[in-house]
Amino acid sequence: MVGMRATILGLAAAVGCVLSGSAAFAYTATGDRQFPAAVLLPQITPGDEFYLTYNTLPLGSSGPGTPDRVSNFTTTYMKTITDNLGIVLEETGTRVGLVGAGALSGWQNFDAEIKYLALNVPEHEFLVTLGLDRETGGTGTTRVGASQSGATTPRVYFGKGLGDLDIGYLRPLAIRGLVGTQFADTAPRPNLITTGLIVEYSIPYLQSKVQSFDLPDVFRNLTPVAEFTMTTPAGKSFGARTTALIAPGFAYAGEGWEFALEALVPMTRATGTGVGVTAQLHFALDFLFPNSIGKPLFSVQ
Amino acid sequence: MITRREILYLAGGLVLLPLLSRLALADAAAGSVVAVHGQCVSEKQGRSVPLKTGDAVAVGDTITVPADGKLKLRMGDGSVISLASGTRMTVAAYQTDASGQRQNAELSLAQGLLRAVVAPVDHPSKFEVSTAVGTAAVRSTDWFIEIQPNGTQVGVLTGTVSLSSRATGRAVTIPTRWGARLEAGRDPVLGRVWAPAEFQAVISRTDVP
Repeated sequence: MVGMRATILGLAAAVGCVLSGSAAFAYTATGDRQFPAAVLLPQITPGDEFYLTYNTLPLGSSGPGTPDRVSNFTTTYMKTITDNLGIVLEETGTRVGLVGAGALSGWQNFDAEIKYLALNVPEHEFLVTLGLDRETGGTGTTRVGASQSGATTPRVYFGKGLGDLDIGYLRPLAIRGLVGTQFADTAPRPNLITTGLIVEYSIPYLQSKVQSFDLPDVFRNLTPVAEFTMTTPAGKSFGARTTALIAPGFAYAGEGWEFALEALVPMTRATGTGVGVTAQLHFALDFLFPNSIGKPLFSVQ
Repeated sequence: MITRREILYLAGGLVLLPLLSRLALADAAAGSVVAVHGQCVSEKQGRSVPLKTGDAVAVGDTITVPADGKLKLRMGDGSVISLASGTRMTVAAYQTDASGQRQNAELSLAQGLLRAVVAPVDHPSKFEVSTAVGTAAVRSTDWFIEIQPNGTQVGVLTGTVSLSSRATGRAVTIPTRWGARLEAGRDPVLGRVWAPAEFQAVISRTDVP
């Protein structure tokens, strides 16, 4: 029973990791392309941003005392060191609901990432970023699935807008994605391959680059988004299974802030058994405080 | 007893007064040339006059900077306007009060690039640059506006600029270190942080030693 519970908590933790690796693309830009807030995948470029993310997802319970829901509340702070180099600091609080036994609460391991914008081609709305994420083992709460083992994840991010193509009203389309491998410090934590993809259609881009329609204000700042993320064990799994989520929703851009709301649709039973929801409130510090905390620590400007 | 002739003179005067004041305003000095390179000219009422350091620039003047030229103006309120090569700009209005503080400044940019270091004022005032596709309005700031083949581009070194579309009326706020673009007939493109190289490019083009 103890072993089974540990396994289930491990699954909850895996789901928690998928969900808590959240960030936003708000104000990530290349040329005239703005990549708005997204919730599941991390930011693809360095930036000066602060955001809060909440998500909740039902799990497949195996009876009394087993998890039936996992919820995460994540705080993320991004800081640019130079114009192309930045760090991301992230802390996630997790609540695991248990059938007939209340809930367990605690912290996930502290997470930090360094990112370098390696390639930016504005005329083709294309960029590539290299990231190195470090999860510090033993800094979280084991009862909600935080591992005693740390992990290091090198990642490659990309973003591509289709605005440079002669495709008319499809020019507001853009895709973003990442590929990474999480290397655990010690067993029994498995190594994981993580991938993610976002497809979006930017109404602001339509209005400003293709054709301005007489739309209500609420639609002018809206970007419909569909995110997909998958994590699968590489090598010895230690009981971990593939998790995958599709998250359709939207991002709404204000001046210096964004709000994103998405449904969470599990694609595997190990991910969850019902539709969840995630929301994010995002503040662009480089817009709100351009002369102080919103600028790089070291910049030629 | 007022005679009929006096009434006619009075009526004529009332009609002519606004016209005369408008002419006087058009001739009012808005600023002066503090640095010039190349054969920059000022056009006023069909006359084209070469500009040299110290020359006055008046409301109504259209200033043309040739492809190999640059020009720097110091306006009556202390604002400094630098024009890059290939720029054509008209001083549509430039009013200051008795203390030299700006009340209303309107520039019209037909082509090229200008940098405006706008002097702060302690009361509500207007500093606007209009282009064919929209208007950029500021209080006090150091910024750039450039006509491009398909629209207008604004970059802000310090301060805040509001860029609005003439066609749709929509506006974006552009803070320090940000830039935004506006294409004809459309909403402004959402702003973004400009790279240092982008600022350096417009700084060097408007830098008048």
